[in-house]
Amino acid sequence: MNTDSNAKRAALLRLLQLTSPALPVGAFAYSQGLEYAVNARWVHDEATARDWICGLLCNGLARLDAPVLARLYAAWSSYDEEALEYWSAMLHASREARELQEEDGHLGAALARLLRDLELPQAAPWVPHAHTGYAVLFALAAAEWRIALPEAVSGYLWAWCEAQVAAAIKLVPLGQTAGQRILSRVVMEIPTVVDEGLALADDEIGYAAPRLAIGSALHETQYSRLFRS
Amino acid sequence: MLHAHAKASEHPHAAGWQAGLSLVFAARASRSVLAHRSHHGPLRVQRPFYPEGENVCHVYVLHPPGGVVGGDELSIDIEVAQGAHALLTTPAAGKFYRSGGAGARQTQHLRVASGAALEWLPQETIVYDGARAELNTLVELAPGAGFLGWEIMCLGRPGSGEKFQQGGVRQRFELWRDGLPLYIERARYEQNGAVLTAPWGLAGHSVSGTLLCVTNEAECIELVREAARFEVGLFSVTLLDGVVVCRYLGDHAEEARQCFEKAWSVLRPAVLQRPVCAPRIWAT
Repeated sequence: MNTDSNAKRAALLRLLQLTSPALPVGAFAYSQGLEYAVNARWVHDEATARDWICGLLCNGLARLDAPVLARLYAAWSSYDEEALEYWSAMLHASREARELQEEDGHLGAALARLLRDLELPQAAPWVPHAHTGYAVLFALAAAEWRIALPEAVSGYLWAWCEAQVAAAIKLVPLGQTAGQRILSRVVMEIPTVVDEGLALADDEIGYAAPRLAIGSALHETQYSRLFRS
Repeated sequence: MLHAHAKASEHPHAAGWQAGLSLVFAARASRSVLAHRSHHGPLRVQRPFYPEGENVCHVYVLHPPGGVVGGDELSIDIEVAQGAHALLTTPAAGKFYRSGGAGARQTQHLRVASGAALEWLPQETIVYDGARAELNTLVELAPGAGFLGWEIMCLGRPGSGEKFQQGGVRQRFELWRDGLPLYIERARYEQNGAVLTAPWGLAGHSVSGTLLCVTNEAECIELVREAARFEVGLFSVTLLDGVVVCRYLGDHAEEARQCFEKAWSVLRPAVLQRPVCAPRIWAT
C-alpha cells in the first residue's frame, strides 16, 4: 500500500468536497455585483460575461483573495492568532460594498458552523466573529485536510468562478454550454493567477475595481433582485 | 505594519524636491488651535480661520509650485489631539506632471485621537499622461475618533483631450483603527492595465473618487441618497462595517466634488453634529 499516494488522493477528494457547489453554505444566493452589472447592461452576452469574470479573477482575486488566503493558511498551520485577526480584518476591510462584506461574513459563518460540526473545533470562534470570512475558514479546512497550498488556492478561485458562471447563466441569461465555455477559459487562467497571487509581497496586496464597487452599492436599491449581492 | 506600507515604494526616486509639512491640532478649553507646525521645502499652511466659531480650526494646505514632478516627494503629517476638531482643504488641485522616468510620491499621514475629529476635504489630484506617481492617504484612528474625508483622482486631462495612456499611478486610501484595517482601497493604474478600460474597472472614465465617513449610523445612507439625487456620472453610497463609503466615477472632477460636498452637507450634521460651513475658499 502506498500511503503517500493515498494521502494525496484523500487531499484531492477533500478539495472536491470543499469546493463543491453542494457545500451547504448558501453560495448560490450571491452574484457579487454581477446582477447589477447585467441590469446596467455592462454584461449582456457570453463574451462580456467571460470578460467580467476573467477580468476580476486575474486583476482582483489574484491580487487580494489569493495572497491573503495563503497568509491565512500559514496562520492556521502554525495557529498564529494574531495573523488570523490581521489578515481576516484585511479582507473584511477590502470588501467594497455592504452586500459584498455581508456575503463574505455569511458564507464565513456558515462554513465555520459546518467545519465545527465536522470536528474542526478551531472553527467555532469564527461562527460569530467581527470579521469572519469565507477565505478564513476555507484556509482552515485546507490546512487541516492537508490540501497543498497551490491546490487550495486553485480550488478557491475555481469555486468563485463556478458560482459566478452559475449566476451569469441565470442572469444574462446564458446556455449551459456557454457557461462551460467560460469555465474552460477560466481553467486556462487559474494556474497563472495562483503563481502571481502567491508571489505578491504584503505591500503589493490589494486592488481597486471602481465600477464593480459602485454597481454593488447600487444593487442595494435595485428594484427587482434574484440575488443577495 | 502601517508605517512599513507608507514607506514602501516601487518607483525609483531621483533627487527631486523633498517637501514636508507637519501639523498638530490641540484643544485649548473649547478652542481648537494649530498647536504646532513645521515644514521643509515648498509646503505651507495659511493662518488658521475660524469661520464657525472657535471649536473648529479651518486650515488651507498650500503647495506653491502647484505640481509635482518625477523625483519629488511630498509628505504631510497631520495630528489631531484629543478634543480638537480640524478641517483641512486645499486652494487648488494637486498635479503630478509627466515624468522623465523617476517616480513622484505624496504621502498623507493623518492621525486622529479619541474624541477628536478631522475633516480632510482636498481638491482633486490630476495625474498627467506619462506621470509616475504614488499617492497615499493613510488615516490612523483612535477608538472614538471622528473622520470624514475624500480623495478625487483625475487621470489625464479630459478637458484638454489628454487621455492617460502612459505611466502609472498607485493610490492608497486606508483607514486603520487600533492597528487593524477598517477600510482599504489600493488602486494601481498602469499603462495598458485592464482596469483602465474594463467594465468592472474605470470603464474608460477619467475621474474616480471616494468619500469616507466613520460611523455606524445606517440612517446616513438614506440622507446621502436623497441629497445626491441629481444627474451625474455614477455615484453610490454604502455602509461598510463602521464606515460610510461614497464613490464617484465619471469624467468631471467638478461633478465629483459637487457630489461629495452634497454628501458632506448631510453627513457632517449627522455624524459630527455640526451644521455645514463651507470653507470660504470653495466659493472663489
